Amino acid sequence: MVDTPHGRPFGSPNIFRNDVLSRRGFLGTSLALGAGATLGSWPGPMPAQAAVGGDLKIMAWEGFTLDNELKGWREANNVQVDAAIISTQDDVHAKLIGGSPVRLDLAEYSQGFEHFYVDELKIVKPLDIAKVPNFTPENIQPEFYNAPTWYWNDTHYAIPWVWGLNALVYNPEMTQPIKSYKDLLAPELKGKLTFCDDTIATWPMIARIAGLGPKFPNLTKDEMKTAFEGLGPYRDQCRVFGSSNGDVISLFSSKEIAACFCVWSGTPVETAKRGVKTIYAVPEEGAVMWCDAWFMPISAQNMDTGYAFMNEAISAKVQAEVCKAVTGGAVNKHAPELMDAHTRALFDYSDLQQVFKKSPLQGQPPRTSDVYATYDEWTQAWTDFKSSF
Amino acid sequence: MLKGSRREAMGLALVTPSFLFLLVFFIVPAALLFVCSFWLAHSFRLIPAFSFDNYSRALSASGFYVLTWNALKNGLCTAAFTVALSFPTAYFIVYRTRGNLLFYLILVSWFSSYLVRIYAWRVILGSNGLINTTLMQLGLIDHPIEVLLFSPFATILTLIHIMLPFGLLLLVSALRDVRREYIEAARDLGASPFEVLTRVMLPMCYKGIIGAFMFTFVISAGDFVTPQLLGGREGMTTGILIANQFRSSGNWPFGAAMAFLLLAAFLLVYFVFVRLLHLLRLAPGRRFHD
Repeated sequence: MVDTPHGRPFGSPNIFRNDVLSRRGFLGTSLALGAGATLGSWPGPMPAQAAVGGDLKIMAWEGFTLDNELKGWREANNVQVDAAIISTQDDVHAKLIGGSPVRLDLAEYSQGFEHFYVDELKIVKPLDIAKVPNFTPENIQPEFYNAPTWYWNDTHYAIPWVWGLNALVYNPEMTQPIKSYKDLLAPELKGKLTFCDDTIATWPMIARIAGLGPKFPNLTKDEMKTAFEGLGPYRDQCRVFGSSNGDVISLFSSKEIAACFCVWSGTPVETAKRGVKTIYAVPEEGAVMWCDAWFMPISAQNMDTGYAFMNEAISAKVQAEVCKAVTGGAVNKHAPELMDAHTRALFDYSDLQQVFKKSPLQGQPPRTSDVYATYDEWTQAWTDFKSSF
Repeated sequence: MLKGSRREAMGLALVTPSFLFLLVFFIVPAALLFVCSFWLAHSFRLIPAFSFDNYSRALSASGFYVLTWNALKNGLCTAAFTVALSFPTAYFIVYRTRGNLLFYLILVSWFSSYLVRIYAWRVILGSNGLINTTLMQLGLIDHPIEVLLFSPFATILTLIHIMLPFGLLLLVSALRDVRREYIEAARDLGASPFEVLTRVMLPMCYKGIIGAFMFTFVISAGDFVTPQLLGGREGMTTGILIANQFRSSGNWPFGAAMAFLLLAAFLLVYFVFVRLLHLLRLAPGRRFHD
């Protein structure tokens, strides 16, 4: 079944009937902005795409657009990729919700957004997996193939392609080796610890430190409160919160901090470029796994090329190259043998089950719930935590 | 008669483009956002309603008051220091220099990006930064002064640096309306330098002062990037809360309600500031030199 804008609850709302409006729909009803939005998002006439080629509009994280890795493929197939960069995951759904979604042939979502995108916002097209021949059990690591993050109800909704760990990073010149999160409470780290303002990466670890890790993302409000209260001593070690991965790298580079609670595993590579050695460590409490997946938005038009792009993205050679570029992990079983030693050593590909056991791939809190703390409540608690309330 | 109506038509033609621009891109969106602030939201979807829930929710959260107070403190301190520093410079430029070289030198800082300036201050104020390193090399301190960075001091210092050219521009413009003859006349009539300042210059350029103060106040109080990058743990302001609602939570109505509450706080500051100038007899309510 292919979803269409007309089948979603966004079309033609009637405010006098108290209908539900999307943000885009709301703006669409306004006198001036509505005209601009309609004209701006009007795709214009476009012939049906029956083969690979033509322009492909994608949206991906910076560094994940495969500019270099797929250069040859693009030239061979006469494909022009128009890539928009994601700064937060919200950028993606902001373009797709509403009555006139912006054309995107492919986009990425991180784990935890699957049900929100598929079931609530209804912005994802189900995939015809036969058109992605590299996505087979023979090629893809079993932990990623048909995992419930991308596949349920016998339907594929996305193709996982790059993963990694958010873990503790520290500067060995400024602190003793850190083997447990409790080590971060050492007096010499007073004022030298920071948190990165990356909620999805940090929240699971907050729950884990409170002994509630397996329950995440479904913690009751009381459990969530307990988890944040347990984090107080860690906050007292901080002078500043890193506003992004880049900001944390900057703080490490200027030696304002000695350790970051939970941050991108590629941080040491970036600080090394600035002459500061840092170490990425998975302490005894584990780390937080992330995984990005390509999905086809409801506004996709050049679908054949989109499928071909995804297929190339998970080929062994491209996986090996992109993992080196983004300090990530490959989903293709054959990619590690094509990697250089450093990139291969980032993760234990020989025992991925153990990696998953110690650092499971977890979702995010529910958007609405009467039982569990919702995403909004976690956001509020996180803001309160950062503000020292 | 014909000449008058032609002049009116010309005036209308000059005003219309900017008026239409503001109407379409500010007044209409702001009005829509105000309407939206009474609506409700669910999972990025807006639900038309007429409810004060968003306002009562914001006003019942202690965090909103704390962060708004942080924002207002940043704005008030930045505006006060910016005006205090800009005024003597503007005086010097208007009455003591022949050219505009100094003026342009100060405006040159606009040629660097906002974020670059913030990160530059991190380098200057950091533990291993210019100030701490110099003081340590001179033997004046043993350990870096950590309060320099990641503190309200760092935020306000940086905001003053960013806002100073704006304040200066407005005050130079205002002081150029205060002609030398008025100042000389006051002196001839026996006024002291302080009286010249408070009874002639300030009352005649008070609109420029209000403009400079409010302009720098509103931008500084509404800023959340500088406080976040330089303010440390106390660096959170209401802007972060509002941004969270528009981006992460997808709750536009709640974000809009907080934005309008912040706007109300800004208006309150404006009226208090203008009233204060009147009470101090620095704002006569009319232009003396007309």
